[in-house]
Amino acid sequence: MSAIALPARSARRIGPTGVVMLLLLPIALVNAVGFLWPVVNLLRMSFKETQATGALIDTVSTATWATVLSDSFTLDLIANSVGVSLFITLLTLVASYPIALYLHRSTGLWRTILLVLVIAPLLTSAVVRTYGWIAILSSQGLIANALLFLGITPPRLMFNLTGVVIGLTEILMPYMILALLSGFGRLDPRFEEAALTLGATPWKTFWRVVVPLTAPGMALGCLLCFVLAISSFVTPKLLSGGRVFLLATEIYDQAIVTLNWPVAATLSMIVLVLFGAALALYTRALRRIA
Amino acid sequence: MIRTAPDEMAGLKQGEGFLSLRGLTRRYGPFVAVDDFNLDVAKGELVAFLGPSGCGKTTSLRMIAGLVPSSSGHIVVNGREITEVPPYRRDMGLVFQSYALFPHMDVARNVAFGLEMRKVAKADAAARVREAIAMVRLTGKEHHRPSELSGGQQQRVALARALVVRPSILLLDEPLSNLDAKLRDEMRNEIRDIQKRLGITAIFVTHDQMEALTICDKVVVMNHGRLEQVGTPLEIYEHPKTAFVAGFVGRINRLAGTASGGIAEAAGVKVAAPGFTGPVEVMVRPHRIVLSAGAAPAGGDLHQLSGTVARATFAGDILEYEVEAGGVLMKTEAATRGGETVHAPGTPVTLSWRPQDTFVYTAS
Ligand SMILES: Nc1ncnc2c1ncn2[C@@H]1O[C@H](COP(=O)(O)OP(=O)(O)OP(=O)(O)O)[C@@H](O)[C@H]1O
Ligand SMILES: [Mg+2]
Repeated sequence: MSAIALPARSARRIGPTGVVMLLLLPIALVNAVGFLWPVVNLLRMSFKETQATGALIDTVSTATWATVLSDSFTLDLIANSVGVSLFITLLTLVASYPIALYLHRSTGLWRTILLVLVIAPLLTSAVVRTYGWIAILSSQGLIANALLFLGITPPRLMFNLTGVVIGLTEILMPYMILALLSGFGRLDPRFEEAALTLGATPWKTFWRVVVPLTAPGMALGCLLCFVLAISSFVTPKLLSGGRVFLLATEIYDQAIVTLNWPVAATLSMIVLVLFGAALALYTRALRRIA
Repeated sequence: MIRTAPDEMAGLKQGEGFLSLRGLTRRYGPFVAVDDFNLDVAKGELVAFLGPSGCGKTTSLRMIAGLVPSSSGHIVVNGREITEVPPYRRDMGLVFQSYALFPHMDVARNVAFGLEMRKVAKADAAARVREAIAMVRLTGKEHHRPSELSGGQQQRVALARALVVRPSILLLDEPLSNLDAKLRDEMRNEIRDIQKRLGITAIFVTHDQMEALTICDKVVVMNHGRLEQVGTPLEIYEHPKTAFVAGFVGRINRLAGTASGGIAEAAGVKVAAPGFTGPVEVMVRPHRIVLSAGAAPAGGDLHQLSGTVARATFAGDILEYEVEAGGVLMKTEAATRGGETVHAPGTPVTLSWRPQDTFVYTAS
């Protein structure tokens, strides 16, 4: 008996907590070097200033923060970005929900095929997909030509907010569908059947049973898509034609074009704060759902 | 889906029962899960669907509830054809094999759900919910989530949820299968009491023959999607129509034999078998057999078979024997009265039973 017990004991010399710590060490290191250090750098940068000539002043001051937060342009920019991202998130949710529900209920080979179709766009770069949308939405594009053929003057679909919303919604849909699917675990057709036998119409069953049971998936999908939308850069840049001002594109302009690094850093920190707010909202929503 | 023309079913609408099933059939591809099911259930009756696993009990129940479309056949409730009516307009309560309580609602809201859907006034609904929860003895647990309840408690919530709307028909799909023996007994009688008190017509699906025999007015025995026999528990037990029913409800001994001229002979025993010819199965229940030591006494009109004891089992309140006789092992059992001798293996014995306790079926 003791001969069996002894090796087990010696194997546990490090203890379970120790093993967990050891396994977490690599990722912790990667995070420290690849995430924490740059963020600290950014934070430090946001407390520097630039001269009128554009030269960087190495000080510690809140001047940049004060300018950014009192400038009505940047305040509008923040409000606009949040609003557009929320709208895109909502649109993505509405467009993805039926697909996710259908996928959740399908089985066998058909389900595999559908899943591959959902994931396939993720294997293509967002840049390529955005160019695809340009081909469809531009004034010489697919939709415009089709409408012209029908004798309708096509509305402007690109180089404005419409184009950005359409493009980002499509690009974010796979993430939303996968997040929804991962949160549909509690949804059992038996609950819907129970509701039906209790006299609930399919419509009532959907709102009273299906929606509440899928709420965790919706919350996760919305968090993910909001974060991705507000930080997305390539698609808004290409589809807005510089006419739509969003946080990510503005940060790029400040950092690369204007070379005003403190402002870019300050705006980046604001995005980070928005992420934090979204995450807090998500955890609160999740606690209310559960 | 094949449906009979309307004029063809005009005569069917005057079903004899409150609930009538006419030729109800469900196919899954070439497989027939439920085959030509005909049944009449009177108002206030408790009917058991009894059969082995996979015989189509759940499928039948789900067709009645409207959750599975039938391939053909009709369902008539109170003279009204409801075959095409969606489940939410059928006014039936269904207690699922797995309870299916809404995990995002507490007990009170689960029970109130059906009333809410029927737009019952708030105050009235609250009173009825309280009453239903009290009826299943769960007062005090109103604000627990299903996940915080034991299996038996969840089962009672499912029952309350189905009963509170006072459905015209209550369907119970093996509602006691997850309970321990004691709770099972209690709940069985509780369901029976509630059903009788409220005068609800109910169908109780089970594969436990005890459950079916003890609480139900009528038992429907099913096998391979087909209805084998419908009758009162007494009829089913004492006059099983088929070899399957005889074997499934209660324990039985089987002897292979052949019949000709109205007499069947099995293991040397001649029994009356009017109307049978060819290979038959002769059956007799273990506790209807009297075992006596030694050679056969002149038994009058009793059927008799002699053999030797292969095994004796003293189980406290009953004494069981396995006797090697006529080339098979015959089981017997008798209630112990105290003082009887337990015959050792090898003892020559005689088995005797009354002709009316003998069942004869064509061998399958
Ligand atoms: N959706 C389905 N597709 C194909 N076959 C099915 C389907 N549902 C049920 N069946 C088949 O129909 C038959 C009857 O199933 P059913 O669930 O009615 O059995 P049951 O009598 O309730 O059994 P149990 O006592 O195990 O619950 C089974 O052989 C089953 O395999
Ligand atoms: Mg079943």
